[in-house]
Amino acid sequence: MNSTKTERFTAYLILTVITLLAVLPLLMTFFTSMKGDEEFAAGATRLLPAAWHPSNYIRALQMAEWGLFLKNSVVVTGAAVLGSLIFNTMAGFAFARIRFKGRSLLFLLLLVGLMIPAQVTVIPQFLVLKSIPLFGGNDMFGHGGNGWLDSYYALIVPELSGAFGVFMARQFYLQMPKALDEAAYIDGSGYTRLFFFIYLPLSGPLIATLGIFKFVGVWNDFFHPLIYTNSPAMRTVQLGLQVFRGENQVQYNLLMAATLLVSIPILVMFLLFQKQFIRSAISSSVKG
Amino acid sequence: MNKGWNRIVPYLLIFPSMFLFLLFVLIPVLRIIYLSFTDYTMLQPPVWTGSANYTKLLHDPIFGKAVRNTACYWLGTVLPSMGLGLVLAAVLTLRLKGLAAFRALIYLPGVLSSVAVAMTWLWLLDPLQGPVNRMLSLFGVAGRNWLQSPDTSLGSVIVIGIWTGMGFAMIVLLGGIQGISESLYEAAALDGASGVRQFIHITLPLLQPILLFLFIISTIRSFQVFDLVYILTGGGPANSSTTVVTQIVSASFQDYRMGYASAMSVVLLAVTMAITLLQYKMGSRNSSME
Repeated sequence: MNSTKTERFTAYLILTVITLLAVLPLLMTFFTSMKGDEEFAAGATRLLPAAWHPSNYIRALQMAEWGLFLKNSVVVTGAAVLGSLIFNTMAGFAFARIRFKGRSLLFLLLLVGLMIPAQVTVIPQFLVLKSIPLFGGNDMFGHGGNGWLDSYYALIVPELSGAFGVFMARQFYLQMPKALDEAAYIDGSGYTRLFFFIYLPLSGPLIATLGIFKFVGVWNDFFHPLIYTNSPAMRTVQLGLQVFRGENQVQYNLLMAATLLVSIPILVMFLLFQKQFIRSAISSSVKG
Repeated sequence: MNKGWNRIVPYLLIFPSMFLFLLFVLIPVLRIIYLSFTDYTMLQPPVWTGSANYTKLLHDPIFGKAVRNTACYWLGTVLPSMGLGLVLAAVLTLRLKGLAAFRALIYLPGVLSSVAVAMTWLWLLDPLQGPVNRMLSLFGVAGRNWLQSPDTSLGSVIVIGIWTGMGFAMIVLLGGIQGISESLYEAAALDGASGVRQFIHITLPLLQPILLFLFIISTIRSFQVFDLVYILTGGGPANSSTTVVTQIVSASFQDYRMGYASAMSVVLLAVTMAITLLQYKMGSRNSSME
């Protein structure tokens, strides 16, 4: 789009104001996380800290079992990303490139799933997780104990089912040229080889987008850990943060340090994979 | 390669996804519809009560409040963040230096977890030490307890909702604008149309389908707001900021009225599905434009 000088000036003005509104709260969080306790006690009014206290971060880490929370988040997010990528690409490939009986009906079912919000399924999912047979003190009919509740399974396994992921993968594989399959058929290879040796190696952009989408969703998730777990040993970083706030109500410098610590993986990923973040935002919006 | 094997391969490939989908999405939806017609506390098996839960919902003043608050949150966040997103997207399509940096910084609040966002604003809005009240006092305006007063709690959550939502709207609209052919703008520029005129006469009309998608998706998201409210205000004070999803959670996982909470969930599901279907209908009418 071509523009005049005044337009460009107004544009910069608008951008600067809104960028400040977006970033200033985060900068203040950072500055606050660096302020000393004395400065707070004296009623801190400055934007910048009078003296910088990076040690706040270490103190914040020591005030709760952050090592454990971090480990939980890493295990849960890692497993969910890896597992959902494998399952989504497999199913997406089958729906896009293989003709089989019941394909359209099964895919239609999945499309219905795109419309169902997580908030709606949380009660019955909770009941399913609670009644997994032979786990968490349950008998073989799923009665008596807590099943998968309060375990990694509750946080990982439901995340592996993704109508959205399968849908995206199918869209991606539909765009591939037909010649790919033909070459493989002439070689005499079956669908399994076709998928693992031809389609999967070409799936980089798909894997990056789906991976980022899942990573952000699971790392940032507060809702499901809140409902599916209750023991402190199962807390993820997001839950840990919420509890930490309750235990240390007034110490905002430490609370802000912990908040930033929990956000670091997301910020690093965002800097590294901006393109994929943006692509996953667009695709998640366009197709619900 | 053996033909029989190739025939079952597709089913093996879709099995994990389909199985988990059935177990964790489809069957749960059917189950919640069933539970919504029962009295269920998890201690005893569900007891069929017909439409009793739904009748109760109609007369439940707190649920009514939750619906009103959710509607306010929807009205308060969706149009302002779309408006801001549109202005930003329009501005960013001018050939400006530092476009990528601006885009990233504005989108930043949208990638943080809702917990991190809530913590940030708990501090900013803290009645005694928080920068917002401090800044106001510089101008001689008395500060308030934004999150804990009934008349400002919902408004505060709405402002925070806009803060996190505008970047997303901007990104989606930017994507849409980039799909518009450059040659249209060149032709308009030859005719002497200014940037603003080009935006009104070319960008806006062609962006209509994307605007509709964005409106629908933001609407659905706003109906599901939970984390921010739960952490910032807990729905209080005096239910002044409670929403449909906070009500679902408190009825089910705090009071164990699973049947009643299921009825609320079914209402949420029905509204969401109706809006999505409407989108498909309008989208297919517009699809010739994409």
